[in-house]
Amino acid sequence: MTMYTEPAPTERGPIVQAVNVCKSFGDKRILTDVNLEVARGEVVVMVGPSGAGKTTMLRTLNGLEAIDSGEIRVNGELLGQRVNKQGKLVERSARDLARQRANIGFVFQHFNLFPHMSVLENIWHAVVEVKHESKSEAVAYARELLGRVGLADKADARTRSLSGGQQQRVAIARALAMRPALMLFDEPTSALDPEMVGEVLAVMRDLANAGMTMIIVSHEMGFTREVADRVVVMDAGRIIESGPPAQVFATPQHERTRQFLSNVLA
Amino acid sequence: MKFDWSYFWQSLLAPSPQFLNGLALTIIISVVAMALAFLLGLVIALMGRSRFLPFKLFASLYIWVIRGTPLLVQLVIIYTGFAAAGLFRFEDVDLFGAIIKGAVQAAIVGLMLNESAYISEIVRSGLESVDRGQNEAALSLGMTPMHAMRKIIVPQAIRTMVPPLGNSFNGLMKSTSILSIIGVSEMFQVGSTMSASTFKVFEIYIVVALYYLLLTTVWTFIQTAIENTLNVRAGLPPAESVFKRLFGVRSRKQQTTSTPALQPADIA
Repeated sequence: MTMYTEPAPTERGPIVQAVNVCKSFGDKRILTDVNLEVARGEVVVMVGPSGAGKTTMLRTLNGLEAIDSGEIRVNGELLGQRVNKQGKLVERSARDLARQRANIGFVFQHFNLFPHMSVLENIWHAVVEVKHESKSEAVAYARELLGRVGLADKADARTRSLSGGQQQRVAIARALAMRPALMLFDEPTSALDPEMVGEVLAVMRDLANAGMTMIIVSHEMGFTREVADRVVVMDAGRIIESGPPAQVFATPQHERTRQFLSNVLA
Repeated sequence: MKFDWSYFWQSLLAPSPQFLNGLALTIIISVVAMALAFLLGLVIALMGRSRFLPFKLFASLYIWVIRGTPLLVQLVIIYTGFAAAGLFRFEDVDLFGAIIKGAVQAAIVGLMLNESAYISEIVRSGLESVDRGQNEAALSLGMTPMHAMRKIIVPQAIRTMVPPLGNSFNGLMKSTSILSIIGVSEMFQVGSTMSASTFKVFEIYIVVALYYLLLTTVWTFIQTAIENTLNVRAGLPPAESVFKRLFGVRSRKQQTTSTPALQPADIA
């Protein structure tokens, strides 16, 4: 049984193409000329020391952070920007960016469930209000997803009454309900108690096995080794190394990668 | 001490029709002005958060001027000043058969303007009290910023906004007593007239005070009920009891668990 229904591919070719992405916060340079290409169905894990720019890079991929220069294409379409009649890059309207985001799932470190809604409504709300699908179908699909993340009995619960691990599984179901073409995970287990990390990783593993395209910022090296098709190592706002986990972990090319790995794998 | 108990009890328990009209006018003006002030305050708060600079500037200028000048002065400028300068005169209007006096309209406008500046600050801090992640989660699901504001941010912000808004309304009801200065025959004005004709000054004003106390007490019950409803909906423990609220007996535990300190500036 698959975890999600594959949306009709709008296009062949890579789902994410980021070219020379630069981003600063004030005077502080966060991303410098980052290039990243992700193929459909690929699972990419971004690792690196804290402050390397992994989270910022991930957030640029659904426009939560606007970029200063460079280009990001998702499904072949420029994200957050468009080319106007004069051939210049201009900002997309809020409505247009919202349409693009609806196709990209995002899972936050701190879950960010909506506390004024039940667990089930958290999952179906945007499907009905953003995609304008019928409520009965959306609710049925929400129940199905909730079952798949192992929380069928929590449909009517308040989000506050759930454990961190349960909240994060609901957050994953909420993102999946939109039938996204791409899922982004920002340190999804970093805010969890150790005994809850496993249940969230299990859901993510199922999703990867089902063929979902995923970009994950994570410190879980065991999980990365097992699930990632490719590991991308970031340091000081740049991608310094990229390759299959076996290769990157066994024979890191870059000195900073060696240092980082010896710190986290020690 | 000279105190006419029988006159006091009679005024308190069987008030004259004029007094009851004054009481009704006090309530009507308070409710209408508060409702309008809330809408205007919301607009000012949203203008203050706008990325459009002229809106931002207007909002801060408005809040600065309105909060920096006394309500009494604002009322006199709106009602008497504008008319004297030939700028604008509040005329009596017929609304569905009821005559609304010019002074009453000026009172509502004045109270609305004054209160909206305070309310916009309450709304602003209420919106800011909602975690940024809520907005990001809403946007990531494809909601527009406006949709996220309406369906995700505002419903959560309302809960933190109710206690300071309630305080505002409490203050507003008492502020109506200064409307007598522009000749609105609200409760205080009626009381003054009665005391001038009967010389029962002390008795009358004690009665007036008790009626204001009645109004604010009834409001405290209503506000507590609203807070409880919202808390139940948000899955939170109920608000502290009305009696603790009225008499200021708040246990330590409840102080630490109550909603974040969002104290509105004291109402003038």
